Amino acid sequence: MSAPHTESAPRQGDQVLGPRAGRWATPALAVGVLGLAAALGLGWQRGDGFSRLQHSWLVACAFFLTLSLGGLFFVIIQHLTRAGWSVVVRRVAELVAANTAVVALLFAPLVLGVLLSNDGLYPWADAERVHGNPLLSAKAAFLDPRFFAARCIVYFAVWWLLGRWLLARSTEQDRVSGPEPTLALERRSAPAMAAFALSLNFAGFDLIMSVNPTWYSTIFGVYIFGGSVMSFFAAAVLALRFLQSRGFLTREVSVEHYHDLGKFLFAFVFFWGYIAFSQFMLIWYADLPEETFWFKTRMEGPWAAVSWVLLFGHFVLPFLGLLSRHAKRRLALLTLWAVWLLAMHAVDLFWLVMPSAETSGVLVSPMDLASFAAVGGFWIFSLLRLARGRSLLPVGDPRLPQSLAFENF
Amino acid sequence: MSATHSEVPTLHGMMAEFADERSLIAGIERAKADGFTDMEAYTPVPSHDVIHALGVKNRFAALVFCGGLLGSCAGFALQYMVSVELYPVNIGGRPLNSWPAFIVIVFECTILFAALTAVIGMLFLNGLPQPYHPVFNVPQFARASQDRYFLVVHASDPKFDARTTRERLAAAGPLSVAEVQN
Amino acid sequence: MTVSDTSRLVLDEPYARPILVDGARDLASITDRVCGVVERPTPPRAWYVAITITSCLTLMLFAMVGYLIATGVGVWGNNSPAFWGWDIVNFVFWVGIAHAGTLISAILFLLRQKWRTSINRAAEAMTLFAVCCAGLYPAVHVGRVWVAYWLFPVPNQMQMWPNFRSPLLWDVFAVSTYATVSLLFWYMGLLPDLATLRDRATSGLKRGLYGFFALGWCGSARHWQRFERAYLILAALATPLVLSVHSVVSFDFAVSQVPGWHTTIFPPYFVAGAIFSGFGMVVTTMVPARELFGLKELITLRHLENMNKVILATGSIVGLAYATEFFIAWYGGNPYERFVFLNRALGPYWWAYWLMIFCNVVAPQFLWIKKIRTNLLFMFVISIFVNIGMWLERFVIVVTSLTRDYIPSSWGYFKPTAVDVCTFVGTIGLFLTLFLLFCRFLPMVAIAEVKTILPAAHGHGAHGKHGGEGRPGREVSHG
Repeated sequence: MSAPHTESAPRQGDQVLGPRAGRWATPALAVGVLGLAAALGLGWQRGDGFSRLQHSWLVACAFFLTLSLGGLFFVIIQHLTRAGWSVVVRRVAELVAANTAVVALLFAPLVLGVLLSNDGLYPWADAERVHGNPLLSAKAAFLDPRFFAARCIVYFAVWWLLGRWLLARSTEQDRVSGPEPTLALERRSAPAMAAFALSLNFAGFDLIMSVNPTWYSTIFGVYIFGGSVMSFFAAAVLALRFLQSRGFLTREVSVEHYHDLGKFLFAFVFFWGYIAFSQFMLIWYADLPEETFWFKTRMEGPWAAVSWVLLFGHFVLPFLGLLSRHAKRRLALLTLWAVWLLAMHAVDLFWLVMPSAETSGVLVSPMDLASFAAVGGFWIFSLLRLARGRSLLPVGDPRLPQSLAFENF
Repeated sequence: MSATHSEVPTLHGMMAEFADERSLIAGIERAKADGFTDMEAYTPVPSHDVIHALGVKNRFAALVFCGGLLGSCAGFALQYMVSVELYPVNIGGRPLNSWPAFIVIVFECTILFAALTAVIGMLFLNGLPQPYHPVFNVPQFARASQDRYFLVVHASDPKFDARTTRERLAAAGPLSVAEVQN
Repeated sequence: MTVSDTSRLVLDEPYARPILVDGARDLASITDRVCGVVERPTPPRAWYVAITITSCLTLMLFAMVGYLIATGVGVWGNNSPAFWGWDIVNFVFWVGIAHAGTLISAILFLLRQKWRTSINRAAEAMTLFAVCCAGLYPAVHVGRVWVAYWLFPVPNQMQMWPNFRSPLLWDVFAVSTYATVSLLFWYMGLLPDLATLRDRATSGLKRGLYGFFALGWCGSARHWQRFERAYLILAALATPLVLSVHSVVSFDFAVSQVPGWHTTIFPPYFVAGAIFSGFGMVVTTMVPARELFGLKELITLRHLENMNKVILATGSIVGLAYATEFFIAWYGGNPYERFVFLNRALGPYWWAYWLMIFCNVVAPQFLWIKKIRTNLLFMFVISIFVNIGMWLERFVIVVTSLTRDYIPSSWGYFKPTAVDVCTFVGTIGLFLTLFLLFCRFLPMVAIAEVKTILPAAHGHGAHGKHGGEGRPGREVSHG
């Protein structure tokens, strides 16, 4: 069997961002720094011991973290199933997936706050409050500041190691001629998936569900997973469109690949809807006070409107909009839906976290935008630094020709 | 039935038998070049290239969508009518119009109606069940469902003429050429 | 044409997309091999032995159902406090088994997994037979079976309507929709193969019967085009349907307030468990069936290995769901919830719980080892474990929660009766009888679909972009 990966592969130099990455990274860094300054200033001005700011910071961190985790899932599953179609879009996913260290750094202050018994975000961080509440003291062994910090370290370590390893082996395949790196990726992707599933499931409980420490839902990790993967596909469409508009991957990524990304985007819109409905309906139907209060907060007052926005914006409209083959192959339309769904993913996380900080009036604060700009700026800066010297195409991948020739039926 | 036995059967078309898909497509291209437009190909496996060569197009996704939409509306209407209008009973204090509880059946009805539309639509548009089709009068055609590829130029084609069509088809190098009687 | 043994193919050539079937790979021999099973004058002797046993079991089932109808549901072990017993356990068990078929035909189709073509027909048939077994329980458990039509919203002079806020009614709709759509899917896929059998038939009776059900299929390009479109749409519709059916079954439990039942992860966890058990049953039946009917070249070791990988993946998801459930039961802080889970592990049904953990979580982990997942004996044994484990899972869920819920004075211990046991064994008999009949009279492998993955179907791959692998038939390189 000949090695076909030499025949039609484009030259590596064509697909490296190089100095251009630096040109885009500087404004991203500036946005990050300005956002951070603004967020801190607004948080200080609020005078609530940074409680509100911690909430917006969590939403912003969770947004960019879930993009990376969705990317991680995508990359692992591609290796696990030995997928051919996705090779041309996989490097972008690998870069996104490997970009978790910056979120770990940005998230660290929140963990530090917990360690210092600051209950501005996680009420259980305050030992006295836990003692006074039987529901909280029942789970004090788990929601313990030091144990929480240790778990966070484990989660971020797992994600960072997985992401970096996947990227490293894949770029190694760019350089060597034998298929060993690809085979290693295939062999280890199954345990990688197990590590990913375990860490994501429990991280969902820890980072987001425990903002409401008395509330619990076993499906919560799956809910976060659904949103993560959906947001990743939306982000992948946007990233590829951006790169193509700057002249990268123009010959390699075709409408066929967008079509497949669109199918997955559609599938995970549906999956998210399925999980969200299951969680809501079961709690609504059983009507147990220890569970329903969580939805009651979100179905009354100003939050009711946000819930409706989610129902229609995160599920009904994109479901109808992405249903037809046409919508997935018309790139302007697909891009529009990708932007829309990323916005909805932010609304979703906001809806999960913020009701414990905002119960009336205008729910959004300039702090939210500032936090978003800060985390986003740093995240993109770090992403560009990762991407700078690497080819945007896995030029050495043995299945690259299959991906280049891929056509939908 | 017996009365028709004495009638001279009219011709349905001319059939060429090919060994594989590639030669069938070559045959189709040749026939198109010869000016034939009214043709049909018969293959043991679905083939996009044959469909493409024949220029066949259809879309009934929209039809299925309408079926699904009808199903959702019917599903919700049924539940609403029964639970709110016809048989209002307080069950566990839940509202009569318990829409979260209705979603499951709305979904099931959507899928059921859409799937029925897809299958019945496929059968209807294909004219199935069809108790009789002239191509089966050709003995070789038994292999159309196994391993042979067939091209039929219909007698209704404006350029059709039994003798010349046979010659033209034979020029494409088929395994056999046969008249298809009606 | 190269004839290599795909089962021995080591996948160290990532660019190679091996052809998925062994032996001669031309259209005629594939047709001959599959049709040969149906066309041979007498089936193998083992088939007679098997069907004799399974039909006896089926007769026993009919006897038990007759006895039940004549006497009443009191012949089962259901009694206070466990008013749900083996009937619902077996119902959920069989519905779960029914998930592999449509998953293989729909989801794997959408994911362009070409290897599905060798196994989808038999798995879909199993889906239908398992739904028959499942549907039997709700039909007979109502006691007065002659009014079973009350399950459906039929206008009647009592002006009485079913309760649409009840998950049990959702089940009626979900399972009957699933049965209908699975039947449509299966039958539609069968059309071209029935036409093949018709065209090869030697006796007038066979020609007439196969011809009747083939609906006059003639394989014209226009027919194929609509057929493929409908097949794709049906696959897209069946995919969420597969997810929904077992989710709805899980709602039967999860909407309640019974400790151990009311947990939000139930829908996806039940779906994963259903796929797990369904693939377990497919492996259980395909390992002997491929030997018996000489289809080893079509259903290769590689197909079985892939199924074992699915079993491993879904078994691990089930394990993760168990862990999550256990953890949240503790984390939630509800004492009843905490008790139920401790009671499962340490209470009177501890044996069922730990056997379930062994069968569902531990046993599939052996499939990480390639030697084991490519060994027929090992995979058969593990698949039996999976079947047992998934039955026990439903037993544990139903019985432990019902027999020890809130007030200790109303606790109890559930014991099945002989009728319970014989009915369940009888459904296994019914399932296998139907499967054996299917193997004998209908093509076990989707002939037309397997042909699409052969290079021969497309003029030896000459038009494909990369040695025939770029675009063979309707299934492109996989995703």
